[in-house]
Amino acid sequence: MLDLIDLTRRFGDVVALDDVSFSVPGGEMVGFVGPNGAGKTTAMRIVLGVLQADSGEVRWRGKRVDAAVRRRFGYMPEERGLYPKMRVLDQLAYLGRLHGLDAGDARARSLRTIEILGVADRVNDRTETLSLGNQQRVQLAAALAHEPEVLVLDEPFSGLDPVGVDTLAGVLREQAAAGVPVVFSSHQLELVERLCESVVMINAGRIVAAGRISDLRASDARRLVRVEVAGQAPDWTRLAGVTVVERLASGAVLELSDGTVPNDVLDLARAAGEVRWFGVVQPSLPDIFRRVVTR
Amino acid sequence: MNGAKRDSDRGIYRVVARREFVERFKDRGFRISTGITLTILVGFLVLSSLAGGRARYDLVVVGEDAVEVGTQLERGSATLAFDVTVQELDDEASAERALRDGDADAVLIGGDRIVVKSDGPADLLGAVQSVSERLRAHQVLEEAGVSPDQADEALDVAPLPVRALEPIDERRQQLAAVAFVGVLALYGQLFAYGYWVAAGVVEEKSSRVVEVLLSAIRPSQLLRGKILGIGLLGLCQLLLIGMIGFGTALGVGRLDFPGGALGAIGVVLLWFLFGYAFYASLFAVAGSIVSRQEDLQATMTPLSLVIIASFFLGIQAVGNPDSTLATVSSLMPWSAPLSMPSRIMLGQASIWFAFLSAVISVAATAALIPVATRVYANAVLRPGKVKLRDALARR
Repeated sequence: MLDLIDLTRRFGDVVALDDVSFSVPGGEMVGFVGPNGAGKTTAMRIVLGVLQADSGEVRWRGKRVDAAVRRRFGYMPEERGLYPKMRVLDQLAYLGRLHGLDAGDARARSLRTIEILGVADRVNDRTETLSLGNQQRVQLAAALAHEPEVLVLDEPFSGLDPVGVDTLAGVLREQAAAGVPVVFSSHQLELVERLCESVVMINAGRIVAAGRISDLRASDARRLVRVEVAGQAPDWTRLAGVTVVERLASGAVLELSDGTVPNDVLDLARAAGEVRWFGVVQPSLPDIFRRVVTR
Repeated sequence: MNGAKRDSDRGIYRVVARREFVERFKDRGFRISTGITLTILVGFLVLSSLAGGRARYDLVVVGEDAVEVGTQLERGSATLAFDVTVQELDDEASAERALRDGDADAVLIGGDRIVVKSDGPADLLGAVQSVSERLRAHQVLEEAGVSPDQADEALDVAPLPVRALEPIDERRQQLAAVAFVGVLALYGQLFAYGYWVAAGVVEEKSSRVVEVLLSAIRPSQLLRGKILGIGLLGLCQLLLIGMIGFGTALGVGRLDFPGGALGAIGVVLLWFLFGYAFYASLFAVAGSIVSRQEDLQATMTPLSLVIIASFFLGIQAVGNPDSTLATVSSLMPWSAPLSMPSRIMLGQASIWFAFLSAVISVAATAALIPVATRVYANAVLRPGKVKLRDALARR
């Protein structure tokens, strides 16, 4: 279990992290979401020791994390960084050695990782000659090659094509299945919803929601209805107790307050024309996210 | 889960140093510049050995008396400081042509005049004059009834001995030349390798690989490894250049005091270490407070000025190794690397004084490194230009 406990960090007058605590159990993939500037990168940097917290601590397997323990972590920073002129394999082997592998192991594992990620034919090229997508694969390989005990990835999916997203998702699932706690930040909430069981939401330096996505959904007591019609959508707010949560191309997700029944919505929809979709829905992760960050 | 062997993280700076050394050694620019330096050095030594030695002059003689002077000059050439080739021509006109064409350095016409193009070589003219004077005096004496033997005796007077109050010390002169080259080499090497440290820091910062590195190791380990690796390369390069220069100079016979020269190379290497260690962490700081190579020049300026000033102090220490200025500058840790070696080579510094200078350098470096490391650690992860004052503050 990776524990972040009461982390606080200020930059001048700005409070970047305010008493942030959450845990990532071994074998679980946790999505770390929040608006830009919410404190995700700051929190991840503190976990990796790249930044110091003003107060609070990070624990791994119950013990305070020090430099020696951190060497066994894997990290992918938001601002990608590699030596542009170094050859891919030399670079990965070097980073592997910094993470404590001996020379032979570092090379062998780097080669294996780079094969899994599909850049094996470029191992002897200078990193700067690779496409951005391939450089990102190399960056990921740098986080994985030393077989880390903990994986912390800052926006790992940004900039990847759909095939790259699937490859990365597969690799992260394998890591989690092997018992590694995986935490990654992302703005792609649908992706987080698809990949993660648990999620941590941060806003303005504070944790605003955390837990299993299913629990968050269940605890969201709102009654939501999704309705789509063929023609011109009516003005849903004509109905008392109805608010629009999300506008769709030909319909909307509506929140019904107590006393309003779905049938009222359906009647209004039928009056407008052919009903293409009607159903009671659970709030999606983006719904929950919007709600907690605007609260 | 992790079967791989994990090194203790204490020696991790050696892994960093190895990369710095290997990656730079593999760099084509480094190999080319080393090659050029060696070519210039060897070429200079070989050429100077060919050009060096005795001067050679061509003397053209016209007429019987002149031929006699030429013959005597050739006969006595062993006592002259130059070689002379005498050529006999039939008439003055062709002799003058030889002068104009540069085939002759001077022309002697009969027993009565010398012709030069514009300004003949003084040592040749002096020799011709004295031989001619002697011949003419001999003639006058014989005409006055003195026997040839007596005339010879009268004219065979030994030149006056000369006693120099401050005789030229050949050994010292050669050592001063070696010391000058040493100062030049140290200056270039300190600048080049200091710059490499700064540029290396900026490279990691601008490519942002530094965040990846610092998620695995500490800033102090990264900095120590970088300084060590680059410095080792500088030392190896200096050693290579020194050894090849020494070998070439010995081979072409330009070195009369090989022991002294070898000692000089050793002293230069040692003070490269002291100077580099002192300056490297400062160059790292200069690199850590900017994010782009273009901005590096500006932050390096104060450092560059100190090194340039120290270079001039070093040059004057070669000329006046016993001056107060040289004594003081050979003790200051920033100028000692450029002043101390020449004073040692020229025999102007006792062993304890050299030791004192070394101790001051090491102590200053030891005091500097923690401060430099702190600034580096505070600045290297901040984007853009960082104010030195902010980086010095304890977070």
